[in-house]
Amino acid sequence: MSQPSLTLPTPGQKAGRNRRLLEILGAAAIAGTFIYLVLTQPADIAGGLGSVSALVALGGFLLGAVLLIVGVLPTLPTSTVVLIPVALVLNIVLGQLMGTSGLPFYLDSIGTVLIAVLAGPAAGAATGALSSIVWSFINPTVLPFAAGAALIGFLAGTAARYGLFRRFYLAPIAGFVTGIVAGVVSAPIAAFVFGGTSGAGTGAIVSAFRAMGDTLLAAITKQALISDPMDKAIVFTIAALLVYALPRRTTFQFPFVRRFNVLAGKEPAKRNA
Amino acid sequence: MAPRLNPLTTLTAAAAVLVITTAASSWAVSLTVAAGAVLLAGVTGTARRVLLAASVILAPFWLSLLMMHGLFFPEGRTVLASWGPARITAEGLGFAVDMGLRTSAFVLVLLLFSFCVRVPDLVAALAVLRLPPQFGYVLASTLMLAPVIAARLEKVRQAQESRGLVVGKGFGSRLGAVRLQMVPLVLGLVHDAGIRAQALDARGFRRAGTRTTYTQVRDSPAQRAFRILAVVLAAAAVAVRVAASLSGGGQA
Repeated sequence: MSQPSLTLPTPGQKAGRNRRLLEILGAAAIAGTFIYLVLTQPADIAGGLGSVSALVALGGFLLGAVLLIVGVLPTLPTSTVVLIPVALVLNIVLGQLMGTSGLPFYLDSIGTVLIAVLAGPAAGAATGALSSIVWSFINPTVLPFAAGAALIGFLAGTAARYGLFRRFYLAPIAGFVTGIVAGVVSAPIAAFVFGGTSGAGTGAIVSAFRAMGDTLLAAITKQALISDPMDKAIVFTIAALLVYALPRRTTFQFPFVRRFNVLAGKEPAKRNA
Repeated sequence: MAPRLNPLTTLTAAAAVLVITTAASSWAVSLTVAAGAVLLAGVTGTARRVLLAASVILAPFWLSLLMMHGLFFPEGRTVLASWGPARITAEGLGFAVDMGLRTSAFVLVLLLFSFCVRVPDLVAALAVLRLPPQFGYVLASTLMLAPVIAARLEKVRQAQESRGLVVGKGFGSRLGAVRLQMVPLVLGLVHDAGIRAQALDARGFRRAGTRTTYTQVRDSPAQRAFRILAVVLAAAAVAVRVAASLSGGGQA
């Protein structure tokens, strides 16, 4: 008579609170690591760039990224989770398409921003971090930048939440500001883990600042402040144009888009069942 | 040889080696690790792919490092040669070699891991770690979707070319070509994802709790012991380095 229920149990409130805790811990790990690196960097340069900074940068940023992923992923609706692999491949494929088109930009976060606009800051942060981890299977040097990528996704989602994607001219401004923050956070990784940046163009800019007597971290931060805001402004514009090109029937499937009216415009008329 | 090992064992080994290399931060250790990774790649038969992928990543990196620190290193004291603002210092070259070798070891070890591991095994092993199942899904799905999406982009390009897309020299023409390829690609992919989401939801994708898997991943007490040993060794290396920097920090 008392047959066990065949439907799946719904996750309780406690699980939700634990996940929220993981998210906060992840964000705290990233912020703490950054503050430690900035505060201790003068001593490190004098000591010939100790490896403690590299260990802290790698460990703290990666731990933060993994905590964010573990905390956020189970809370996302399936429609968002299945979109994440698509976004990750878009990051790579569209980056390559841009490369072959001969345009002088390095756009590797279009997919991340796209998810952030459609599904919100938490989904954007998880996608950014996952993007770095999965991409590191092909190119391991992107792995330490997971925290920076998560930050880009989070900021893009926040911009969408407050309506900056409703007008196409506001998106590049949001991208510019995101680029400033992301560049400043990623610079310590480039400085302490790799001792420089890859690529001749960025390397030349860093060299120029070094020639003026800047410390390595200062030189790389200034280089990031030159390249990143421009790059992110373009990425945000492309993501915005792609979202505008999607049919409303598709974009309004996402609760985040409906709830915060991310894209100006009315909900499409419901089809009669 | 490699497929017999549990993916967690190889992952732990790779991570421990990287932590120890970073903690040691000496060119000799980095060089040994890099050489060891190449040797292991030879044994597992992935040497060609690992070396090819690594050279694509490392060649521009080394070039950039040597240019950056070889020519401009304000902290350098021993000047070997100088032209105007650019001066080659022994310290700068040493720093570039240190960093280059450490990154080479980092890239080679991780590439060796990713080319040796079987993705289905890794996903099954991660499920044992109680990571959210969505993580395994995203990892496996991305690595398998990549060639599908690349093929789809190719199809979109062919379709647009048959409709008269000609990529001209100008900036506007190129931008237009990118738009004509990107929009259908992204539209189709988002649409497909929606269908996939419904199919997965119908099969209880979001349910909490443990999952069973069809893939049986081998594990043994010896491998478990090795993993614990690797973690302890890595932790010890970090502890030694931190202790050394705390005691030596006063002089620096």
